[in-house]
Amino acid sequence: MTTTIEVPTATQVHRATQAGIAHKKKARASRALVLPALVFSVILTQVPFLVTIYFSLLNWNQLRPSEIKFAWFKNYAVVFTGPDFLPSLFATVVITGSSVILSLLLGLFFAVLLDRKFVGRGLARTLMITPFLVMPAAAALIWKWSLLDVNVGMVNWALHLVGLSAIAWNTDLPVVTIIMMLTWQYTPFMMLILLAGLQSQSREVLEAASVDGAGPWRTFQWMTLPHLRQYIEIATLLGSIMLLQAFDPIAIMTKGTGGTKTLSYLLYERAFIGLDVGQAAAFGVVTVAVTIGVATIALRTLFKVFINGGER
Amino acid sequence: MAIATHAGAPLTRTKSSQAKRRDFLAWIALHAVAIAMAIGFLAPLVFVLLTAFMTDQQALTKDLWPQTWQWQNFGAVFEKAPLLRYFGQSLTYSVLSTVGMLISSVPIAYGLARLKWKGRTWAFYLVIVAMMLPPQVIAVPMYVLWAKAGLTGTLWPLIIPNFFGDAFSIFLIRQFLISIPQSYIDAARIDGASELGILWRIVIPMAKPGLAAAALFMFLRTWNDYFGPLLYTGESPANWTLSVGLASFRSVHQVQWNLTMAATVLVMLPVIILFFFAQKSFIEGIKLSGVK
Repeated sequence: MTTTIEVPTATQVHRATQAGIAHKKKARASRALVLPALVFSVILTQVPFLVTIYFSLLNWNQLRPSEIKFAWFKNYAVVFTGPDFLPSLFATVVITGSSVILSLLLGLFFAVLLDRKFVGRGLARTLMITPFLVMPAAAALIWKWSLLDVNVGMVNWALHLVGLSAIAWNTDLPVVTIIMMLTWQYTPFMMLILLAGLQSQSREVLEAASVDGAGPWRTFQWMTLPHLRQYIEIATLLGSIMLLQAFDPIAIMTKGTGGTKTLSYLLYERAFIGLDVGQAAAFGVVTVAVTIGVATIALRTLFKVFINGGER
Repeated sequence: MAIATHAGAPLTRTKSSQAKRRDFLAWIALHAVAIAMAIGFLAPLVFVLLTAFMTDQQALTKDLWPQTWQWQNFGAVFEKAPLLRYFGQSLTYSVLSTVGMLISSVPIAYGLARLKWKGRTWAFYLVIVAMMLPPQVIAVPMYVLWAKAGLTGTLWPLIIPNFFGDAFSIFLIRQFLISIPQSYIDAARIDGASELGILWRIVIPMAKPGLAAAALFMFLRTWNDYFGPLLYTGESPANWTLSVGLASFRSVHQVQWNLTMAATVLVMLPVIILFFFAQKSFIEGIKLSGVK
């Protein structure tokens, strides 16, 4: 950055405006070339969704493939008046909401720890990320059998050590089981994003705060948290999208029993077990609408709680 | 000076040593909690690793520590299932998808982040909607389309769409491109560079960490994908990926836990190694893309 300010001469200004007009024209021309491709590409990402919307208007059961016909909003009527939608919506909100909040808090804790410099930090970070790298299908099995099994599970063994009686996690507390496993799996993801946020925070500001006598907790609350806001937002958004789509653990651990039938599992059941393509598609469209709603509300309300109604 | 030090020293020393002791205790407490939590967090993985070394009989007991270390379990896995072929399939799926995603999603993300045009906001919302579609929703419609194209039974229905843009990656890359200073792009425009030239020579080199992060995400997502390969290649074992192979491994070999765990470790290893080397640029990537 130069500190002197150069005063442009009249000719320079004239030349600059001319160049500006020419470049605007040229830019418009090149944009005209790029735009159709761009719009086309964006439309391509919509193909699955458009097909889904179309299918949701059909009366189409795989068991009766000859009877495919247009049914308008019949499938949506089934979705909203049937007995499955509300419990499933409730299960989705409970499971997604708790997993997002728990993994965000745990992720923040680990991110703060791994932000410090220590020997073997790279290795520690990689290790802490591994739960996110494990195949979800494999992770679900590990949790179901190795950790939570009534007889040989490690968690019950640990409970026994401290004198507590065994708990049949998979059958008695299915919702807790799923939330535990999803939290375990997504904490590293939250941690990664928040760690990136912590690393982008300027050290000087923090040092200045500590020189001014702010304790570590107050510095964290009033400087680090507001700085992390954007990162928390993006972690919440991406996390809730991925967690809303969580399927493998539910399919493997509980099969949707005991209040764990989330929307994504329900529509799988409709499509692949009930073989009702139209209804599954209708559930899918509704799920997308719910996702958008949840993501918007989560982002707005979370921050009022999180940052003591701080600025903004 | 000497007198002042003499008089002041004892008081300060006791004070600071008390404070030091308090700090030290706090340090121990914090680290104990942190380490305990980290151990609890990583216990499942340690358990997998230890079970992978046990004998078949011991794997069914409550034992935590292998009586004898069965290194041959890892070899046995290769004999029981064509892991190398699954590995090749997984690699094809992940690498081609990642390449396709980069080719297609970078220009789209650039258009959404950097070009001003009517409907840009709406186009961006559409991308977010596409991102929120659960894979189970689109599975049936897409399967019908691909069956008409005669490509079911192969991994192509999973790879090809990535060459036409992947919503999740478009979103990540757009977030990153937004943080590139406009002045660089303006300067290149005034120098007469075309949009593609700007993209190739200015934006992509500056966006490398962000692209690395998006690529790593894509690789991980496809590598761990179980639902997709099962749906399309479930009936044709020749095209199975590691994830499908691993699942069938369990059913074919009647829950031989030690071998299942050994296979799990082998499947995880490539991504863990990849991540160990990429973690710095990965964090760097989110660091900038998280802004705005």
